[in-house]
Amino acid sequence: MINFQGYGPRLLEGALVTVELALLSLVVAVVLGLLTASAKLSPNRLIHGIGTLYTTLIRGVPDLVLMLLLFYGGQIGINMVTDQLYYAFDIDIFINVNAFLSGVITIGLIFGAYMGETFRGAFQAVDEGQMEAARAYGMNPLMAFRRVRFPQMMRHALPGIGNNWMVLLKTTALVSIIGLSDMVRVAAEATKATHEPFLFMIPVAAIYLLIATLSEWGFARLAKRYSTGFGESSEWNN
Amino acid sequence: MAATPIPLEARGIKKRFGDHEVLKGLSLQAHKGDVITLIGASGSGKSTFLRCMNLLEQPDEGDLIVHGEAINFRTTQRGREPANWKQVERIRAKLSMVFQNFNLWAHMTLLENVIEAPVHVLGKPRTEAIAQARDLLDRVGLLDRADYYPTQMSGGQQQRGAIARALAMDPEVMLFDEPTSALDPELVGDVLKVMRGLADEGRTMILVTHEIAFARDVSSQVIYLHQGVIEESGTPAEVLDNPRSERLRQFLAPKH
Amino acid sequence: MEQLNAWFTDLLAGNAIFTANTLGFYWDGLVTTVQLVFLCLVLGIVLAVPLAIGRGSKRPWIKWPIYLYTYVFRGTPLLIQLYLVYYGVVFFDGIQDSIFWVVFKQAFYPALIAFTLNTAAYTTEIFHGAIKNTAKGEIEAARAYGMSKPLMMRRIILPSAFRRALPAYGNEVIFMLHASAVASVVTIMDLTGAASYVYARFYAPFAAFSFVAVIYLCLTFSIMFCFRKLEKRLLAHLRPRGA
Repeated sequence: MINFQGYGPRLLEGALVTVELALLSLVVAVVLGLLTASAKLSPNRLIHGIGTLYTTLIRGVPDLVLMLLLFYGGQIGINMVTDQLYYAFDIDIFINVNAFLSGVITIGLIFGAYMGETFRGAFQAVDEGQMEAARAYGMNPLMAFRRVRFPQMMRHALPGIGNNWMVLLKTTALVSIIGLSDMVRVAAEATKATHEPFLFMIPVAAIYLLIATLSEWGFARLAKRYSTGFGESSEWNN
Repeated sequence: MAATPIPLEARGIKKRFGDHEVLKGLSLQAHKGDVITLIGASGSGKSTFLRCMNLLEQPDEGDLIVHGEAINFRTTQRGREPANWKQVERIRAKLSMVFQNFNLWAHMTLLENVIEAPVHVLGKPRTEAIAQARDLLDRVGLLDRADYYPTQMSGGQQQRGAIARALAMDPEVMLFDEPTSALDPELVGDVLKVMRGLADEGRTMILVTHEIAFARDVSSQVIYLHQGVIEESGTPAEVLDNPRSERLRQFLAPKH
Repeated sequence: MEQLNAWFTDLLAGNAIFTANTLGFYWDGLVTTVQLVFLCLVLGIVLAVPLAIGRGSKRPWIKWPIYLYTYVFRGTPLLIQLYLVYYGVVFFDGIQDSIFWVVFKQAFYPALIAFTLNTAAYTTEIFHGAIKNTAKGEIEAARAYGMSKPLMMRRIILPSAFRRALPAYGNEVIFMLHASAVASVVTIMDLTGAASYVYARFYAPFAAFSFVAVIYLCLTFSIMFCFRKLEKRLLAHLRPRGA
């Protein structure tokens, strides 16, 4: 066994933080992505504009800068709000921005923009006749979405979701910079203390590769499931 | 006047797309067992009229009465729209539509397509829906294709499957929108045979078609549309065999 | 001119954060970021072209090591690659005694190496994909006219592959610009480093990071604009005439 000089358990905990962070961010990103795609396909100019502004801003600025802005700026923003509450209503609360939560929100917010683009393309790829048939048979909008548009859209969206997930997974490493103890931060601290970069960084890199490889396998299976009825799907290539 | 309400009535339907008025006040009554055929050149508004009947297009003026129930409209800034979408959904479930491009749901097998709306819209028990679907598929000659996906079937098979899907709703009225136009000529016959069977058993049907011979055979009423207006209407003998207008005569003349 | 100068001085005097001093930091940061990104992209392309050709080779001992390289570098975070080079470079025997140490004790060069290896891996895959998608007929035609394999690669396959790779490569350039922000973690005063410094000094995160976000946004749009122009020019043959 490799001797991690006492950092073994913390590295494992860090790996768990990375996985939890990535999965929760993915959920936020998918929900935001669906909302964004709907906004960008909306005939309402204002809603469309908000969706476009969101995706353009997020995709034009580095993830790390957004993260620093939201994490440090968010704390000050919340402090300002609680200060106002104190002066105005004599309500005294202190909300400390939780690094894990702000990590989830930030990464979710960033990848919501990317997912939005993926979903928008996928929604548009669904043949309108399919939805027309759903309407003609008396389905309400929610049911038509759930039973027809969503399953058909997923076939087109899965490759994009897969790619976004791979990038998202790697982006979680950035939370180590805002002080969250993911596996990269543990490895960086261990490296500084022991001067053994390879001992800690290479296993962490290997864990990322392992998660990426497992995900690829999982997405290939999902792609197969959502391509039923569409012949041999060759859309999944990676 | 019959004691039971008539299945479908349209009164003074008008529809415009931008500045272009495609339907200029059309009316129609489908009594039980009627087979009404809409004919006309492309652009005459026949498909739009049919699509207005189940509100896939919203008529700008006019009323729709389905089985004695009038559809409520309201006017907003965006134009006229149904006041109550729940009502529209309920009424659509009584009017099954068969599309030109079949529009079978591509991610479901044929059987799943047929049971989808009965189970999820009408709330029918699944086992009952499956039993009924098998009967219907047998009837249109596709029982052996129950587990196929739409893309694995020919156009003619897909359209017969779509008719089975429509029948599974026990519809008051069946709407056919050029059901054979997208088919290869050799596949048209099977679909028409199924439709003839439906007409013979007294189904109320409204269809848009280019198959004049078929219209003559099965229709109780033929309506000839030109530029959004009903030019001629009557029995097949009146409209198809003794056209009054020169335009209809030319429309019916064999193409060469 | 004098008026403009006075107006600008007034503007700077009007706030405590964006003084001539801090704007100087941002400017130096901008220069560092542009240098770092530009150099790593150029070096990345130089590495990626032969690697992409090798990646499509039939020989397994050429093909698989290259695939392993791109798989590892595309599958792990850039931050880890940066840490590995930054902290790992001292482990090369004797480097601290050699003349190279002058170069490597600055964080800039380890960062440049990490970024170059990273972008080369992505670029290799982009080029490989484009080469693989060359129309079969064009290759057949080249063969029919008696072209040798290297000639065919140079004259037919690569020119058309580079053009088709352009949109994907444009994304990679923007990706690299954004990814370069991690350089600030190893003490490099790039744009993000400058913003972090201003934040720490004035405790004004909104101002410090919003300002740098706008600069990145402008850089991103400029890159997008250039690639659009370039695509229009070089991919004209893929569009229908008169469209």
